[in-house]
Amino acid sequence: MKKTIIGILVLSMVAALCLAGCGNKKSEESKEDSGKAYSFTADGKKISLDQDMSEVKEILGTEKSYSEAASCAFDGLDKTYYYGSFYVETYPDGDKDKVNMIWFADDTVSTEEGISIGDSVDKVKEAYGEGEAVGANGIEYKSGNTKITFIIDNDTVSQITYEYIH
Amino acid sequence: MKKKKFLLSLIVSIVIVAIIILFLQRLFVPKYATDIKEGAMINEYYDDEKDNDVIFISDCELYENFSPITLWNEYGITSYIRGSAQQLIWQSYYLLEETLKYEKPKAVVFNVLEMIYNSPDDFNDQSQREAYNRMTLDGMKWSISKIKSINASMVKEEREKTGYWGYIFPILRYHDRWKEIKAEDFEYMFKNPKVTDNGYLMQVKVNPVEGEYPRKPVVDYNFGENAYAYLDKITKLCKENDIQLILVKAPSLYPIWYDEYETQIEEYAKENELPYINFLEKIDEIGINWDEDTYDKGLHLNVYGAEKLSKYFGKILSEEIGIENRKSDDKLALIWQNKTKTYEERKLRLEQERDVQE
Repeated sequence: MKKTIIGILVLSMVAALCLAGCGNKKSEESKEDSGKAYSFTADGKKISLDQDMSEVKEILGTEKSYSEAASCAFDGLDKTYYYGSFYVETYPDGDKDKVNMIWFADDTVSTEEGISIGDSVDKVKEAYGEGEAVGANGIEYKSGNTKITFIIDNDTVSQITYEYIH
Repeated sequence: MKKKKFLLSLIVSIVIVAIIILFLQRLFVPKYATDIKEGAMINEYYDDEKDNDVIFISDCELYENFSPITLWNEYGITSYIRGSAQQLIWQSYYLLEETLKYEKPKAVVFNVLEMIYNSPDDFNDQSQREAYNRMTLDGMKWSISKIKSINASMVKEEREKTGYWGYIFPILRYHDRWKEIKAEDFEYMFKNPKVTDNGYLMQVKVNPVEGEYPRKPVVDYNFGENAYAYLDKITKLCKENDIQLILVKAPSLYPIWYDEYETQIEEYAKENELPYINFLEKIDEIGINWDEDTYDKGLHLNVYGAEKLSKYFGKILSEEIGIENRKSDDKLALIWQNKTKTYEERKLRLEQERDVQE
């Protein structure tokens, strides 16, 4: 009887340790940071991907328009703020909204490396390097947990997006 | 003698520990009874009658926009929505493959929005993608289709951490929930309440459309090879089983359905001789009023909008696809009378809750 009880206790401890081990794996993980993150500056105001949107709103002021879209099941909304020449999209992270994506609406803004909509693909490569071809006509550059993508039509930049890599 | 006693003790210990772990597993696995009901949907199908002439397969653009009860009451059409939250095309294929082991419908309806997702690793938020996977996959009964679906669905993080073991023993995935255990986890340990009406997840709130959704730039409008491969598999499976596959684009205003997507689907439908209906182009015909018929600003219809859409689509199913009116079947009529009663009671209850909250 004693041995049976000891056996049960030992097996239970082993099982508990296995489950606890699974829990630890998640907390030990950390994202690989492979460089300085891309950020965006408009009218001297700098904002970053994964930044708390409440901070961004203080920096940029009131948006021109706003829209939101819920996901299939989860709480939290994908929110998009339009600031006239660019859009900022957020994602929910706990009780905060953080910057997930920034894309340009026109050619009045540029990246910190000096590229705007309408610039040539050669100018992009001069500023950023060769980059990685994505999709049918995109060039992507990654830095840290961020990426910047240029969509090229007829050797000209037609769209610029910044994205946070989760 | 001593050896025998030891072996017996060991076996008894293992059995007791297994029972404890299985009990904890039942306790820790989310019940999806009150909060995120979408997680309970896939499993509900198995207890339902299997005599459906139409099966819908897809994500919330189907399970929140179409009402099988309305299809029955207006046209005598039996149907079920095998939907789940952010269901992806490979999951739809394996769900369809599995469904055909239980019944053979006359038509399958598939929402083409899923074509914009080509791979489980396309998603930025991998942990949310994994959570959506669980909502589709955990509810499936174990079968070859489920195994294949798990294999097709796992994100990189899942493969590296728990892999298949997380699906075979869900406690490996959900043991962290010990901090979140609520009364419903005990109440629904062995049996969940029904949250849908033949797969339709009812919404009664009214939240009007406020304006156009932003058109986010897309690097590549072309649907991926993997998505096309699974659409081909769905098409082939339906053809082999003499089932009419109907492609639809639900009248959901976001994610944006770009013209470039539309062109590809039109071409696919033409090449494969499949009917394709884009309900976004028929809003006025259907009678959808964006001030009244949506609960989330145009992403999905509420029950009032879903009933309108179902009346419209039911006419097509009946007159163009040729799905039979089966109201003269007394046994079916009784079953669907009970389903209608449950549906109307749910609608009334939700409306009362809504009115109290407002």
